[in-house]
Amino acid sequence: MTPAKEEINADDVAPGVMEAADHSIRDGIQGYLIGLALAIMLTVASFYIVHTPLIWGPGIPVALVVLAIAQIGVHLVFFLHITTAPDNTNNVLALAFGVLIVALVIGGSLWIMSHLNQNMLPMDQMTRMQR
Amino acid sequence: MHLLGKLSWNAIPWDQPIPLVAGAVVFVALFAVVAWTILKGHLPYLWREWITSVDHKRIGVMYTLLALVMLVRGFVDAIMMRSQQAIAFRAPGYLPPEHYNQIFSAHGTIMIFFAAMPLMIGLMNFVVPLQLGVRDVAFPTLNATSFWLTATGALLVNISLVVGEFDPAGWLPYPPLSELRYSPGVGVDYYLWALLISGVGTLMTGINFVTTILKIRAPGMSYLRMTIFCWTALAANLMIVAAFPVLTATLAMLTLDRYLGFHFFTNAAGGNMMMFINLIWAWGHPEVYILALPSFGVFSEVISTFSGKPLFGYRSMVAATMFICLVSFTVWLHHFFTMGAGADVNGIFGIATSIIAVGTGVKIYNWLFTMYGGRIRFATPMLWAMGFLVTFTIGGMTGVLLAVPPADFQLHNSLFLVAHFHNVLISGVLFAGFAGITYWFPKAFGFRLHEGWGKAAFWFSLIGFYVTFMPLYVAGLLGMTRRLQHYEVAAWHPWMLVAAFGIVIMTCALACQVTQIVVSIRRRDELRDETGDPWDGRSLEWATASPPPAFNFAVLPDVRGEEPYQAIKRRAIETQQLSSEAQYEPIELPRNSPTGFIAAFFSTITGFALIWHIWWMVGLGLAAAYAVFVWFAWRDVEEYEIPADAVARADRDRRRARAEWLDHHERAGEPA
Repeated sequence: MTPAKEEINADDVAPGVMEAADHSIRDGIQGYLIGLALAIMLTVASFYIVHTPLIWGPGIPVALVVLAIAQIGVHLVFFLHITTAPDNTNNVLALAFGVLIVALVIGGSLWIMSHLNQNMLPMDQMTRMQR
Repeated sequence: MHLLGKLSWNAIPWDQPIPLVAGAVVFVALFAVVAWTILKGHLPYLWREWITSVDHKRIGVMYTLLALVMLVRGFVDAIMMRSQQAIAFRAPGYLPPEHYNQIFSAHGTIMIFFAAMPLMIGLMNFVVPLQLGVRDVAFPTLNATSFWLTATGALLVNISLVVGEFDPAGWLPYPPLSELRYSPGVGVDYYLWALLISGVGTLMTGINFVTTILKIRAPGMSYLRMTIFCWTALAANLMIVAAFPVLTATLAMLTLDRYLGFHFFTNAAGGNMMMFINLIWAWGHPEVYILALPSFGVFSEVISTFSGKPLFGYRSMVAATMFICLVSFTVWLHHFFTMGAGADVNGIFGIATSIIAVGTGVKIYNWLFTMYGGRIRFATPMLWAMGFLVTFTIGGMTGVLLAVPPADFQLHNSLFLVAHFHNVLISGVLFAGFAGITYWFPKAFGFRLHEGWGKAAFWFSLIGFYVTFMPLYVAGLLGMTRRLQHYEVAAWHPWMLVAAFGIVIMTCALACQVTQIVVSIRRRDELRDETGDPWDGRSLEWATASPPPAFNFAVLPDVRGEEPYQAIKRRAIETQQLSSEAQYEPIELPRNSPTGFIAAFFSTITGFALIWHIWWMVGLGLAAAYAVFVWFAWRDVEEYEIPADAVARADRDRRRARAEWLDHHERAGEPA
């Protein structure tokens, strides 16, 4: 498409479109390598903490969630090139929209499904009545 | 194992005359059309200009055509339901229960997925790139593929008429009824594969249009200079991208239950059927607004044009659109208030539902204030818009009533509900579709639709709607539930008779619509639109010729404010001349590609094979569909070039017509 090519400008680039931004290949590769190292580190850390007495037992799931969120962050920044720069407004908004909808649907579903038996008698009362 | 899976001669319902005769009629008609096309030698033209076209205008027209054909199919189902209920008072009627079940399921499925959706997507396809002032959508071949995959879904639904059966479990097939144990036939499978395949097409459309609107606009076309139709298209497509994966995932889970013995929605082995209802409506409510928002966009364009005024409260309109886009994801529980959740959950979702009406209320007032003080021209599109304003307000108010959980407990699954959603969908989507078609028809084909027949169609539709659905409100309040094959309550019967009479009026409307198209085509020379601007339009689609050249605009327009075309016209009238001729350059356009058609052809085979468990054919179809994509990915030449002098020739023709208009305008001495 011609208009697409004509209209690439530095203020509004999609992630992955490197030609418009002023990056050398070396910078690009460096970014990916840092990202890879961080991602591996976080992955290894999450396997490690499961088998170590370093963290209090019941706290392990929390630690895993924290590491997972950090992992998402690393992927977004180093591989999907989401930044806070003004040229990224569209991408950040799209991400926020996606996160919001996923949160609404998952959170809403959990809430609704956990609420389904509200109008039922508690189980022990029910069995008592049947007796 | 049988070579043809579950398929055998018994799949054709030899003992049921209605589907058999209907199928035979459709088959003969189809055969006649295909034979005529081949014998007259139109096939190469059809293949070159339409089937392989990746032009958004052609795809838009094909979407709309598909929608209109399926609309008639769905309307026939409606006639059967209304006549059955008129007859079946203390009597069995003429439709046996298992057939009646398929009819109401097919009616809902067809009307939502294969009439309303293609209607709106068709209008968006045709109009959005023109209004943005660009040459095509972001991914033209993907766009064609989206269309043909939608057509695949529609084709599968129609095949079910004569081969096997259609889904008997409702347009949203709730488990456990839709599970294999209670619906062992192929009906639910037809439904599932038709929607899984066409759902992929819809999702690709969503991605395509979000990308187009965010990334490809004419120079100077900032977000707040876009038309409201483009804004509503953006919101609707954002919602498609967010909501359709939920539908696909939910239906995929039901498919796994039925095909591979999973237990997502069964009562046994830890499944929960309520989860289906929860998830399907997490898609289903946004879907309502995916249909309604572009309709609001159409009405915004129509009301502004025919009132001869800029839209009142443009920014509040944008805000209301985006408000609805978000809040529509927070109300889905109101479709199942009675499912068993406690007062907290029902209360919150009831309030959210009432709040979303505020966004629509803002829009209604904006339209009214746009009309206020305007010089209103009562052309057919404007009549549809005004009919919408009144009718939709009534439907919206019954909706707010249903949003109150205690009231909903009385009215859930009653005909009151049926009347409510037909009230909003017919006025909101169907009227918008007809308004949009009448409004943009001259742009697409170069001649206007006949006004007299259009107005007749409008009045029959409007009156027919009230006569059909107002009695259903009453019957619902009298306790009549939906989907009844027969009934014994005497109080309901008169209302069913009135509703059946309403359907007769609606049939007259259909006849007028068909006549309108036939008459308009025959008298196209006197209805010709020479200037490209038959309605005194305000946005960019009217700046080009009717029908627009393949490249839409010889030179991309330079947008300097809201209502860019109105500004161009005002400038021309003030200076008494057209803007100076631009430097024409050659234009590159995407080449036609049969990718979409061939991929959809093999998807149809795959879907059919999956429905009938013909596994070798599934493998073959999938492999071939994949091969088409690989073949497309390896193409060498993507674009062709239109030379500068061809562009210049086309644009000079347009400029000559515009100069004549300016001349005429000057002599008529009309105020600008």
